Amino acid sequence: MVGALTTAAAGMEAQQNWMDSLSNDIANVSTTGYKSQRVGFRSLLYQAPGRGAGEGAVTGAGSAAEIIGENFEQGSLEQTGRSLDVALTTPGFIRVRTPAGATALTRAGNLQVSADGQLRTAGGDALDPPVQIPRGIDEEKLSIAPDGTVSAGKRKVGQISLVEVTNPNGLQPDGEGTWVPTAASGPIREARGARLQQGSLESSNVDLANVMTNLSEAQQGYELAGKAVTTQDEVLAVANGLIR
Amino acid sequence: MDSGLYIAASGMLAEMVRQEQISNQLANANTPGFKSEGNVQEGFGELLLHNTVTGARVGSLSLGAEISETPLDLTPNPLHETGEPLDFGIEGEGFFAVNTAQGVRYTRDGQFTTDAEGNLVTPSGDQVLGANGGPVKLRADGTVAAGSVGVFNVTGVKQEGENLYTGNQAGAGSGRVRAGFLEESGVDAARVMTEMISSFRSLEADQKSIQTIGETLSESAGSVGALS
Repeated sequence: MVGALTTAAAGMEAQQNWMDSLSNDIANVSTTGYKSQRVGFRSLLYQAPGRGAGEGAVTGAGSAAEIIGENFEQGSLEQTGRSLDVALTTPGFIRVRTPAGATALTRAGNLQVSADGQLRTAGGDALDPPVQIPRGIDEEKLSIAPDGTVSAGKRKVGQISLVEVTNPNGLQPDGEGTWVPTAASGPIREARGARLQQGSLESSNVDLANVMTNLSEAQQGYELAGKAVTTQDEVLAVANGLIR
Repeated sequence: MDSGLYIAASGMLAEMVRQEQISNQLANANTPGFKSEGNVQEGFGELLLHNTVTGARVGSLSLGAEISETPLDLTPNPLHETGEPLDFGIEGEGFFAVNTAQGVRYTRDGQFTTDAEGNLVTPSGDQVLGANGGPVKLRADGTVAAGSVGVFNVTGVKQEGENLYTGNQAGAGSGRVRAGFLEESGVDAARVMTEMISSFRSLEADQKSIQTIGETLSESAGSVGALS
């Protein structure tokens, strides 16, 4: 009979997980290329409650909530006019290589030329394959074509690799604005239809009004489950009160 | 022994089952497509009492109560827009069908995702069945035509947990699938909270009955027949 208490507590934890994810979205409302998280709720196992109930009765064990991926809806474009800012205007990713040598994907296109002349993301990841900007070229004069071709004047100096995976929800976010491919996401392949826009950045796709509505729903859910915990405690007190 | 003691105890047990059920509903206030269940309380059976001297009927005596059934309320709930292309809601009656390791299961929670092969799956990786009973493939742009997701009529629906239900498939459902929407939880918070309070008061009343009967019994055992 302590079941009711853990059931109610599971509900509180599920709402708490949702609030954590919403807080993360709020914190990233102005992070370039950020994708809001998708949280899935599920009910837990249903069983016959035993004493006090007949064979036709079942009770559930509460709920659980987990992040089930990200919402890859296009974020709005912000004009910056900076030549090394690129925004993806289609689904897809820019392929990068982390300093540790791992392949990663990003949609944060605020690129810069590092001290060694390579094009890198703001997080310090090099493009993959690397794009080396020859010495003496003014970075303001670089042009980046929609297909990712980087040229200085008429000379092609490199190519930004635009890729996609079958299941973006299977990508593993690493917290630095990049995603790492997994078995669930499927292999990385060239994204022929992907397009870049120079001089723009993709804003975070967090819809603040939406997040706030969800946050108030999560809070309400948390309170309801909290009330249930308090009442179940009182129920047990009444049962214990039988013997004085 | 006094049967009143057992009657009141069975009432307490039934209220505690009801409290378990209420906790579960409050815990699922935000679970998409959640269906809440009612509860049917039934007496164990009744005795007809007669006056032993005159033989006149006194009335019936119940032998206690239990929660005999927890019928599901399958009324469709309102859909709310999420904008996520792989969220689906059924407008009207019917269930999505999911191919799990234990066999086909049914759900009203359309929060789906994809697998590495581009099939529509649940977050736990089970394939969602299309209208023709096969897997649902994503289109090149990562979306799914709402009409290609199957909706089925299901009879004998029983909760299993994980938002899944067991039952017998009985043809196509009449509901219409909408992409970018989720069905809200069927928990009516105000009603459930009221039920929680009233059930708690019944529990207290049962406890008071047990205590009173206990005092009566100790009175009979301790005072009746005492010499001084």
